Amino acid sequence: MPAPKTTLNPLRRPDGSATHSQNGYTIIGAVNGPIEVQRRDEIPDEAAIEVNVRPATGVGSPKERRIEQVLTTLLRNIILTHDYPRTLIQLTLQILSTPSTHSTLPSASSLPVLPALINTAYATLLAGSIRLSTTLAAVLVAVPKRFGKGEAVIVDPDPEEGGSELEAVARKGGLHVFAFDGRGEAVLAESEGDFGIEDWEEACEAARGVCCGLQDESPDVMEVEGAKRSMVRGLRELVKGEVEKEGRWRGEG
Amino acid sequence: MSEPTILLPGDTIPPTLLPSPASTKPLTLGPGLRHIPPSTITAALSGPLHTDPRKNALWIENNGGRYIPVAGDLVICSMHHSSVDAYHCVITPYTAPATLPQLAFEGASKKTRPVLAPGALVYARISVAGKHMEPELECVHPGTGKAEGLGPLKGGMVWDVSLGMARRLLLPPGKMREVGGLVLLEALAEKVRFEVAVGRNGRVWVEGGSVGVTLAVGRAVIETDEGGLGVEEQRRLVARVLRGM
Repeated sequence: MPAPKTTLNPLRRPDGSATHSQNGYTIIGAVNGPIEVQRRDEIPDEAAIEVNVRPATGVGSPKERRIEQVLTTLLRNIILTHDYPRTLIQLTLQILSTPSTHSTLPSASSLPVLPALINTAYATLLAGSIRLSTTLAAVLVAVPKRFGKGEAVIVDPDPEEGGSELEAVARKGGLHVFAFDGRGEAVLAESEGDFGIEDWEEACEAARGVCCGLQDESPDVMEVEGAKRSMVRGLRELVKGEVEKEGRWRGEG
Repeated sequence: MSEPTILLPGDTIPPTLLPSPASTKPLTLGPGLRHIPPSTITAALSGPLHTDPRKNALWIENNGGRYIPVAGDLVICSMHHSSVDAYHCVITPYTAPATLPQLAFEGASKKTRPVLAPGALVYARISVAGKHMEPELECVHPGTGKAEGLGPLKGGMVWDVSLGMARRLLLPPGKMREVGGLVLLEALAEKVRFEVAVGRNGRVWVEGGSVGVTLAVGRAVIETDEGGLGVEEQRRLVARVLRGM
């Protein structure tokens, strides 16, 4: 699986922006806020959150509207909305590219793209200096049918490599998306397909490992293992790189 | 100075990083931090944690995002429209306009008040700000009644810079080089005459007397900001700019 890749602030005009690639999807996000809100959307003591998801081709459909709904609900719990009363935080997520297997997946399935959208949204908010209560990391888990007889759960499947596999799971197994906050608590769980409760629990634990890592992970251990770094650690390194880039002038002269 | 700790939102700040537990001054939390009673302090933004033991303060340095008005800050805003006794000015795009009373200028009275057309630039101080209300501006020191450099900006041109750069440019002259690592304006001013106003909202106004000087100074500021130029690179940039003039 190729590691998720993120860049902060590729765009100049919005308050914050980020690009992110995961599961073969590349997404660019931009946030503006806090800005003036329309009278009918105004909330007296907190910020209104607007999420726009734009597909790679064509205009949005009810599928995108549903994803927007899921994201808005999720982000309302992450953003400190009470710090920005009577304002609007406007987030736009444009899907830039989809994996070649995208069209073979069941058309109603919105789960393969969801983790990439969630992680882009979070990186964008971070780049836009919106006050947040915690970190957020999301991952896709595929559980093949008849799990338990030798077949393992696939965390963060790569549609380019195991495309047919993912397609098979999407048709005859369970697909799950989990998102975890900084304390390792699940803040989002979306599932579809055919699965049992043991499959779900197994998938949840596997996802938690990838998103949050071990509680006592130390930098040295992670250096050795290399590839097995958690997504929260990746986020920390991303921010560190950005801080070094911005503070370049400190090192000179 | 040791490497500052990089924080992510939700990280709890360990008591060992607090500046001085024995200080008599109350602990001051700057931008990016959040106090959860009784005694937990967590980060709300990402970035390096900075502390000032003398002021018993800590904050998160952050360069991005939209400017949030704070009372006492100097900003460059543009006039949007005027009402009976106040002008309404835009500090950052797409936010609710701030009010600038027509009498909040030096020497203004009911009969003589400055005339500002929509789109005019004003250098003002934020007198009142809070998250629940629109900010209020003033162009006069409330104690002395003097403008102290504030007021309408005529001529020149405005550039957008990052909020971190605006903060560095607003440091007092003595500190600008040591703390902010900026020698650009001083070095340019040795050779050419120009006027600069810096707004905390990430705007820099430059008036050089001629279009050439204005553009050269403004673009040098932008280049320093975007490239994160150090002191030596700034000197080289100044030499290049002066050659081109």
